[in-house]
Order: sequence, then C-alpha cells, then structure tokens
Amino acid sequence: MLVCQGPGIGSVTHKSTWALGARTKKWLLADVISTVEFSHSGDLLATGDKGGRVVIFQREQENKSRPHSRGEYNVYSTFQSHEPEFDYLKSLEIEEKINKIRWLPQQGAARFLLSTNDKTIKLWKISERDKRAEGYNLKDEDGRLRDPLRITALRVPILKPMDLMVEASPRRIFANAHTYHINSISVNSDHETYLSADDLRINLWHLEITDRSFNIVDIKPANMEELTEVITAAEFHPHQCNVLVYSSSKGTIRLCDMRSSALCDRHSKFFEEPEDPSSRSFFSEIISSVSDVKFSHSGRYMMTRDYLSVKVWDLNMESRPVETHQVHEYLRSKLCSLYENDCIFDKFECCWNGSDSAIMTGSYNNFFRMFDRTTWRDVTLEASRENSKPRASLKPRRVCAGGKRKKDEVSVDSLDFSKKILHTAWHPVENIIAVAATNNLYIFQDKAN
Amino acid sequence: MEFKLEAHRIVSISLGKIYNSRAQRGGIKLHKNLLVSLVLRSARQVYLSDPCPGLYLAGHPGAPALPQQPGESVAGPPACWGEPPPPAACAAWPEPEPQLELPAVLEVPRAGDAEPAAPVTGAGDTLQGREAEAAEAAWCRVEGPRETAVGGAGVPAGGSDVFPQGPGAARRPWGCPPGDEDKTSVPADRPAPGSTPLKKPRRNSEEQSGGAAAAAAAAQEEEEMETGNVANLISIFGSSFSGLLRKSPGGGREEAEGEESGPEAAEPGQICCDKPVLRDINPWSTAIVAF
Repeated sequence: MLVCQGPGIGSVTHKSTWALGARTKKWLLADVISTVEFSHSGDLLATGDKGGRVVIFQREQENKSRPHSRGEYNVYSTFQSHEPEFDYLKSLEIEEKINKIRWLPQQGAARFLLSTNDKTIKLWKISERDKRAEGYNLKDEDGRLRDPLRITALRVPILKPMDLMVEASPRRIFANAHTYHINSISVNSDHETYLSADDLRINLWHLEITDRSFNIVDIKPANMEELTEVITAAEFHPHQCNVLVYSSSKGTIRLCDMRSSALCDRHSKFFEEPEDPSSRSFFSEIISSVSDVKFSHSGRYMMTRDYLSVKVWDLNMESRPVETHQVHEYLRSKLCSLYENDCIFDKFECCWNGSDSAIMTGSYNNFFRMFDRTTWRDVTLEASRENSKPRASLKPRRVCAGGKRKKDEVSVDSLDFSKKILHTAWHPVENIIAVAATNNLYIFQDKAN
Repeated sequence: MEFKLEAHRIVSISLGKIYNSRAQRGGIKLHKNLLVSLVLRSARQVYLSDPCPGLYLAGHPGAPALPQQPGESVAGPPACWGEPPPPAACAAWPEPEPQLELPAVLEVPRAGDAEPAAPVTGAGDTLQGREAEAAEAAWCRVEGPRETAVGGAGVPAGGSDVFPQGPGAARRPWGCPPGDEDKTSVPADRPAPGSTPLKKPRRNSEEQSGGAAAAAAAAQEEEEMETGNVANLISIFGSSFSGLLRKSPGGGREEAEGEESGPEAAEPGQICCDKPVLRDINPWSTAIVAF
C-alpha cells in the first residue's frame, strides 16, 4: 500500500484547493484496500485489505518545529485480522477480505475496532505498551525459566521504558451467525450493541456476547425463487439507538424502529424515489441498487449511493430525496459496456464531512467527487501521484462527455475503469480525507488558510 | 431489430456471468447474481416481445400452426428470428433426448402454476420436430419452477432453505428421475436422498455448487447458502449443441434433465421457446462443450 499524504485541501468551493503533500511513504503491501475508516476522534485511520490485514495509521502530534508536517499519518499498527477459511460442509472458501471496519468510541487508553469479512466479525483491542518489566525472579531476561531451587534472593521487578509497541489482540469473535455474505456492520449509539447485515438478514449483537445474536430483519422469502431484492447496506442512527436503516438492491431504504417489534421486518419508514420511465433500460435495476447508506452526523439526513448518483434524504420525507448529485452521468450511455466488464457492479461508498456540509464519493480513473451542499458546487479530483506535485493544489478535473474535448479534459473513452475509488473517508472534524485507490491510500489535508 | 440483437447479446453475456460466478472465490455472490438475473429477464422479455414478422422462414412446417400468445408463446419467438432453423440441426437432434426431457418438464409445473404446462403441451402439438419441445422444456425448467416445491421426495419444506445461486435457481425439478440428481452432486452438494451415486465425472466438473439443493435441504438442519446450479442453465443451452456432438443419447438426457430453474426472479409462467436462440449462441457451444 502506498500512502501519499500532505497538506493542501480546503473546503469545496472554488476558492479552496486540495493538494498532495510533500512526503510520501511507501509500504509494501500489495493488496487492494477494501475499507477505510477514521476513528471517532480522527487521530487513527484504519484500512482493511483483501488479504485480511488491517493497517492503522496514527496522526502525528503537531510539531511546531516542523510546521509542514502538520499531523501526518504514520503507520501505527498492522495485524492480520482474518485468514482465509474453508467451509468444509458447503465446500466453499471464505474470503479473508475485510469488508468493513468500524471503530468503537474510545473508552480508556486502549482502542477497539470491529472488522469483518464475509462471515465473521472480530473485535480487536489495540493497546500501547511502552514499558516492560525487568527483573523477574523465575525467568531470565531472555525468558528462560530459572531453577526455583537455585533462587536465593527475591527482587521486585521494575518497569522500564521501552520503545512503543502497539499490540492488537482479538477480544471477541462473532461467528456463525450469517448464512450469506456480510456487507455491513454498524456500532450502535448505546456503545453496547452493534448490527451486522448480510444479503438477507440483519443481526443485533451485544459486544460482550459472542455466542448469540438476535435477528432483527429477515427478508428471505419462504421460496427463494421469489427473491427480488437483497440488503446492500445497513446502519444505526447516530443518536437514536432504536433506529436503523437498511438499503436494498431495488434502490429503496427502509427505516426500522426496534421499539416497535422484535423483528423489524415491517419498516417504519420507506424511502423510494419513483423511477423516471424515460431513462429505463436493461440496466435500470442494476444502477438503482444502493451500494452505501450513511447517516449524517446530525442524524437528520441520510445519504445513499447508487451507481450514477448520490442522494441526500431527509428522514422526514420518504417520497423523494432532497438532493440528488450526479457523480458520473456520462456513464449512462456506456452501461452496456460497463455491464460486460463488470464495472456496473462496483459498490461505491460515500461519506459526509464533519459538519455535514459536504459529501464525497469515488468514481473511475482514480477520480473522486466532492459536493458542497451549501454552495451547491462540486469538484472532481484525481488521486494520482503522477498528477499531483508535492504541496501543489489538486487540480480539478473535468470529463468530456462528448463533442470536442477541451484541453485538460479527459474524454469518457479514455477513462481507466480499472482505477476505481470505491472507499473514501472524511475526518470527523477536520478537512482531512482518505481516499483508497486500489492498493494506494491517499490522504489529503486542508491547506493552511 | 437492433434491440433484439442487443438483447440477445445481453442474454449471452448474462449467462456467461452466471456461469463464471460458480468459480468465484468466496462463494457465489447473491446480490450480483440477482442483478444479472434481472438483466437476463429484461433482455429476454425484449427479445421475445419485439415482433419482427415475416423474417421467419416461411414454409417451415410447424410455424403457421403455432398459437399466438404474446410473450409466452412458442410461436412468438420463432416468428421473430431471422434465421430459419438449419435443417442439419433439426436432423441431428438426437431423437431420444427430447422424449426424455419432456416428461421431466411436464412433471415440473405443479401446485397451481399451470402456465408453464400449457405452452409446453401446446408446443408439443405444433412445433416442428422434437427439438423445439426439448428446448422449450429445458427453458421451462429454467424459468418456470416456482412450483417445484410441491411433492417430490418430501423435500419442499426444506427446499425453501436452499439458497439458489441466482434467485429461483436451486430448486430441483421434482419430476426429474432420480438418476439425474447425481450428476449435479459435487462436493458442495449434499447427495439427494435416495439418489444413486452415479456421477459422470464430466458433468460433475461442469455443474457444481448446489445442484442437489432441494434434496440436500431435507437433510440439513441449519440453513445454508446453497448456491444452486445456475450453470445448468448454460448446460441447457449447451445441450442443444453438445447433443449434436455427443453420441450417446443418455448423456444428452442427463445433461438436459438435471437442470434447475434458471436465475430468474419470481416471474411465473414466462415461457418461451429459445430454440433458435440456442442455435444462435454459437460461441457458447464450443465454450460449454469444452467443459
């Protein structure tokens, strides 16, 4: 994984700029990044990859003597979260790819996160150790046991400082609760429970209890041949611990209230935008499938990502979204090709900034898009080392949909669809973003204003 | 006409995706296969409902007598295709094959879903040769069996637990003679109760993952992500070609009959005769036979 970071991003207006920083660090992980998540305070950034590894970056403390390295992110911990498994009963391999990472709110010195692959969720404790004990009685410094009969005197071990060591240990393993592939996990605002969602079911867990979970949503039809939609994403409300939403492959979002009944098969609210009949095609159903749903920090809105657009919904209005932002509408005429090369199945994520004034999502050709909800401006930026000079601002990119291509525009046909940005994350407070481009991680920061 | 070509192409691509999804690491993805099946259905609807009268070879014995039921008629599709069925193909269709396929299909529609049955029988009367019946039968099996749950080996209760590779896939036609249950039994599948373990290695390699879905469901206590054998759908299409190449009628029969419903979402009674489609999907013949 290559990490590129540096100063130079601003708010999403024409006056501000995003820039790539001067220093880059090369990491030799070759795997594709599959999830990116800031911790609640933003000082830690976790990434998961297809190889089942989790890499956590920590923001450096700001150092007045080195003003240019304002809070860069350095590797803090690396560990293997999931291993490939084989289900002998079904003769299926279980991929070790990390589908989602979610941080728990910090309580104490240690940090906790949940990471999940297709079948198993694990709670990891990440703790620092900067002291070690020396002077044991029963063993030598190198660990060899001493013969108790030869000990003639006792001493009290003393703690001595050591180089900081970050340890990750699995504290809970939540397994065997999902028949289908887990696509989402979400920690509840009560800090005690969390949900995990697969294609057809959502389960509620208690963080302390691993041997059972409660099924709260089940959309599996009695006759599987009648299956028409699957769950694509689910999330708890940021403040109301009884409320959750889940999105479906049909482009609908259901809000459920766990107080109403134990099994939330019947939704409390149903969000669906009527389809525009004029844009119907073979692929209408595919492109309407929601790939990600995220509540705003305020809890008043939620955002959904389908293949071509991002929609912001007011939780009080189910009939249609309050905002629709086109991410790459120029792809609408290319849907057949995108179907052939499987790109139409790409699941893009989306994220809010800390103040809910801007949203961000990825696209192809290593482009990512930001939409400012207050000024209604949007920008396309590229996560690429070649095109980013150190400390220079990121230049907005433009895609030419047709006709004469202007200078600096990229034509649709020259887009590289293998370079896709599916996972992005925005610092919970500051204007720092993490963009995963295949196996490279880019971290952009706000230019000092 | 371009719509039909486009639809045809999309059908081919979709089938290819479903077929390739068997080999995916981590098991078959339900979401993707559901979406592919929806596209497949849309494309097929367009393909079948786009009328192009007059292009079908006039004078073909069976054509004029076909009943005209929009969308579901056997007659519809043949009337639309521009190519007449090559005489060679008709002649080369192994005689026993369609005969054996037909009973399986007739047993498939059950439990009140009479739609699939009607076109089948209607087709039997009017279609030229047996090939159309066979293909129709195969297609019915691919499309139809919402209804397969009833009867059959006491499995239906458990059958619902079986997760098809695509929606509607995994349900085995209960009418299939037990013999063909084996052919789709592979490591992933539990052997159907009562089925004899006669496995043709060639078929096994071709059809993995969930062939014995419903049968297996009876034996299982927990659910399982049974990703039914949608590859059989490919085999259905393949059988029309490999039947030409295979010498033994028995092999052809096994191939065609082990099929389960295709990756269709719930859409009862969508029957069509895709025989000409099958013929047209020439690249598939080599690809499928190669397996």
